[in-house]
Formats: sequence, structure tokens, C-alpha cells
Amino acid sequence: MTAGQPLPYGDPAHLAAHQFLVEEAALLDAADFAGWLGLLCEDIRYVMPVRVTTARGAGFDALADMGHFDEDMYALRKRVQRLATDHAWTEDPPSRTRHFVTNVRTFRQDEDELRVESALLLFRSRGDTREPSLISAGRTDLLRATPDGLRLARREITVDESVLRTQNLAVFL
Amino acid sequence: MIDLAAIVSQVRRGMIPAHVYADPEIFAAERDRLFARSWVFLAHESEIPDPGDYVVRRVLADSFIVARDEAGVVRVMFNMCLHRGMQVCRAELGNASHFRCPYHAWTYRNDGRLAGLPFHQEAYGGEDGFARAGQSLLPAPSMGTHNGLIFISGDPDAPALADYLGDFAFYLDFYTRQGPAGVELRGPQRWRIKANWKIGAENFAGDSYHTPHTHASVVDIGLFREPKASKRIQGALYQAGPGAGTTYKLPPAGNGHGDLAGQLRYVGYPDAMIPAMAAAWSDRQRALVADSGFMPSAATLFPNLSFVHNWPQIDADGTVAPFISLRQWQPVSERETEVLSWFAVDAAAPEDFKRRSYTAYLMCFGSSGMFEQDDVENWVSITDMAAGSMARRLTLNSRMGLTSEGKPVKPPLATFAGPGVAYQGFGEYGQRHWFGLWGDCLSREAR
Repeated sequence: MTAGQPLPYGDPAHLAAHQFLVEEAALLDAADFAGWLGLLCEDIRYVMPVRVTTARGAGFDALADMGHFDEDMYALRKRVQRLATDHAWTEDPPSRTRHFVTNVRTFRQDEDELRVESALLLFRSRGDTREPSLISAGRTDLLRATPDGLRLARREITVDESVLRTQNLAVFL
Repeated sequence: MIDLAAIVSQVRRGMIPAHVYADPEIFAAERDRLFARSWVFLAHESEIPDPGDYVVRRVLADSFIVARDEAGVVRVMFNMCLHRGMQVCRAELGNASHFRCPYHAWTYRNDGRLAGLPFHQEAYGGEDGFARAGQSLLPAPSMGTHNGLIFISGDPDAPALADYLGDFAFYLDFYTRQGPAGVELRGPQRWRIKANWKIGAENFAGDSYHTPHTHASVVDIGLFREPKASKRIQGALYQAGPGAGTTYKLPPAGNGHGDLAGQLRYVGYPDAMIPAMAAAWSDRQRALVADSGFMPSAATLFPNLSFVHNWPQIDADGTVAPFISLRQWQPVSERETEVLSWFAVDAAAPEDFKRRSYTAYLMCFGSSGMFEQDDVENWVSITDMAAGSMARRLTLNSRMGLTSEGKPVKPPLATFAGPGVAYQGFGEYGQRHWFGLWGDCLSREAR
């Protein structure tokens, strides 16, 4: 839940944020990971906490000290570099992915930053015999206005499964 | 019908009938003869530090509540209500003084004792109709702990855990006892892979041979300097008690022979941790690192708990940080495994070290780890190939390191400080050791 009202859907800032997310998804689905890195701020934090099944009254449903991702720019660059080698077997042959981005809500954080919530459904198919996998997640992003346009400064991915049904996270969400 | 005795005889010679990696009959035998009786890891005490803390974990289809009761005693209870069989606790972790069944509100204390049931007097006629006294969620038939690791066995007559661990306990300390405080576990990350559970267990028990090729990408990008073939072949492979593992040969430390601190610094341990590590380990354990010059890396404790210790470069400045992971290959079916992967770190380590070590873990292992991704790709593919009829005609050769007469190609290391037997160089000693234990289990009676 986010305090405050989202910007109207016709607001230029909302439209710019929405377009950013759609363009980003297009880069990922085209496997242009180097291009994707270009959308990130140098001080990016990219986190995906482990979700857990807890009682309704427990007051938490994610682990505070364990994620599937907890990345800075160095770590993300290494992941992208790895995928570009001739030896990243798990993505060779590559996954066919489709990032469906929807339910976009934009909040004015401050002069230079927008907080953007979105829903993501990632469809991933590999090979000819394997079952495809789906990853459903919410995302809370911080988009920063820079001279080059909006850039991603922070992403928190709230995955909707406690036990992931995908072979690995050799993908970006 | 499979001929289990013939299969066991083959695997003892290092020849693995390929179908064992996707065979429902083998899986049923593993369930009834192996998992129903062996010591199996469930949780670590650091996951439930306070009274009332609990986690819910499975051994195949059996769900257990692992709870610390009000007196601080760790209890392992079958998660099924005594009345109508409902799953009593449906969260995977939390804190509770009692567990109340959602069906008819039978309520159990966190030590498993039945505390109450509605209308006991009116409906049952009180103690005469249903004696509450002595009623308790079914405890695990056997339970034991070592270095905070909680194990259970379905065999009430299981050997004592310490006897079971035997010589492997020596190696467990490198992963779970780096100081008097012990380790703390975080996680686990959990995900399901379409792979047979045995493949990961075997791999960690001794497959140093896969590292240079499967993990070539992490060398390509400068994440971890050690997996090159020229380095990996220098490592020792050991087999001890119910476990086996791999090591890396360390370069001679700055102060030469016997320089434990130098070797620990090389893999990234800060000076603040080294005295506690030296004090926690025995003379022989220190000698394994300092004199023999081997640093434990991957290992498996039979049947399905594995360990890894690597020391990648975690930033552009070249900072090397070691990490430890415990991982369990929890069988779902003959073709599917749930991986539970924990990050482990010395509980008393400096916070900045814990942070670096956690970063190292996430980059290398677990659901997103750059090592693990390519491992699982292999294991899924093996399982897929093993499921057809052609795989029943193929016996996989797991005899690396043996001559045609079954003698080691090279003699065991004479100066290895650890217990068991160790060989330097590539060889499938650990995998055969693991499969020998598997054969022992499948040769015994079902329970």
C-alpha cells in the first residue's frame, strides 16, 4: 500500500513513467541486456525479497534478511556480462520471455523522482519439451529524472510465490 | 519390476543405470527404504532462536513443525491433528505459544502436548471418553542436533546422530562452526526444479571435474578466480563417514607452511574473525587448511544436505568475500526437487563481513546464483533424458579415478590432515561413495 494519491493517468509524468516501463520490457524481451543496463542509475539497488507463508496476524510475509536478488550496479553488470559469454549454458539456447507490465500507478516522490508501482507477469519458455514458467510479481520502482531522461534508481520486486516454479532467475524482472 | 539388487551391484562398481534418475519405482524404494529411515536435515537452531519460534519443513510428503517450546527445547512434531488429520500449522514460519487446528479447534502447546478441545465434557464425557493426558502431536521418531543442525530420522532405533555423522563431523565444522557462537542461517530461498534429487547431492559430493566447463562463465567475467581446470585439478577430494566433498588447493601463504591466518585472509576472512576460527577448530582441522593447504569447498552429507564455500570477487575494487551455503535437495517426485538454499555466516562475525558474504552468496548460489544457474541446467537435462526407454539401455560410467581392476589411478594422499580418505586431482570418488551409501539404504528393509 502506498500513501497518497496516484497521479491522474493523463498526467505527463505518469505517461512518461508508464512508457519507461514498457520500453524497458521491450529491451528485456529482445535480450538487449546491455541496453537495459543503460536505463539504470549507477547507484541502482535491485532487490527481490523471499516471500514466505505466515499467519495473517504475523505482521510480515517476506524475509527481511534474505532475497532472491539484492544487487548493486557491479552485480547486475556481472550478470549481464555472464549472459554475453559463450558459456552461460542455462540461457543458451535462450529463454523466450514476455514481460507483461500492467496496473501502473505513479506517485510524485519529489521534484526529481517518481515512485511507480506496477504488476509484472513474466512468461518464460525454453526448449521444446519443457513446461513454460510464469513469475507473477509486483514492483515498486524509483524513477529519477536525469538529463538523459528517466532512469531506474531502485526496484523492489514483490514476488507472489514463496516457492518459485522456475528453474532459476537467469532473467530480470 | 526393477531388480534392485542388480542396480545396487552396478552402482557399487561405479556403473549407474541411467534410469535411476527418473524412475518412479526407484523413487518409491528411496522413499520407503532410505528417507523413511535415514537421518535427514530439517532446520538450524538459529532459525528458531526464541521460545515459540517455529518453522515448518518437510521430509518428502511428511510435514513437521520444528518449534522451540516455552522452556527453550527444540521439538519436532508431525504436523497432523490427532483428531481428524488436518494440517495443524499452515504457515511456514512464525512464533506461537499454541497451534490450533482450524477444523474443530483442538489446540496444542508449542511442545506438542494437547492443551484442549472444545466441549470435552459435554461431547466426550470428559476424560472417560477421551483422555487428554499424554496426548501429543506425534514426535519425530528420532531427533538429534549437531552444531545447531536439527536432524530427524523415521527410525526410532536410528543410531545416535553423532555416531551416524562419524568422520564427516570433522568437515561439518568448516561450514557450521567458525567460532564459539556457531553459524546463523538465513533463508531459505525455495524453488522447484525438474531434476532428480540425487544429481545435486552427487555433484556436491565430489564433482570437481564439472567446475572448469560448467562454470566457465564465472571465470570469463572474473567473478571467481579458482574454478579454472589448472587450479581445480589441484584440489583434494575426500570421503569420510556419511559424507564426501571437494577442496581447493591454496597457494602457499605469505608466511609459508602452517600459516592458517594467511590462508584464511587469502579467501577473504577478516582478521577480526581469524582468532575465533583458529580457536574453534582442532589441531587437525587447522592443519588441513594451514599444512595440507586445502580449503573445503563443496560437500554432501548423505542423503540430501549439501554445503558450499567459495570466495568470489564482489566489487570492482577486487574485494574477495567468502560465503557458506547449506542446501537441501528435497525430493518432490522422481523428476522434481525442491531446492532449499540457506546463507550461513558466523553469528559473531562483524556486520560488514556478513554484508559482504551475503552479497557473495547471492551472486554465486541460490535461486539467482550465477554458479547454480548452470548446475541446474545440467541436472534438469539429465533427468529429462533419463525418463525414456533408451535410458534403460544406457549405463553411465562413474568410474573416473579407477583402473579396470578397480584400483585407484593414483594412491590416496599420504599427508592429508583430515579423516577418511582423500585423493588429489579429478575422480568420481565422492560420487561413488555417495552411491555406495545409497546402495546400503536400498538394500535394507522398507519401514
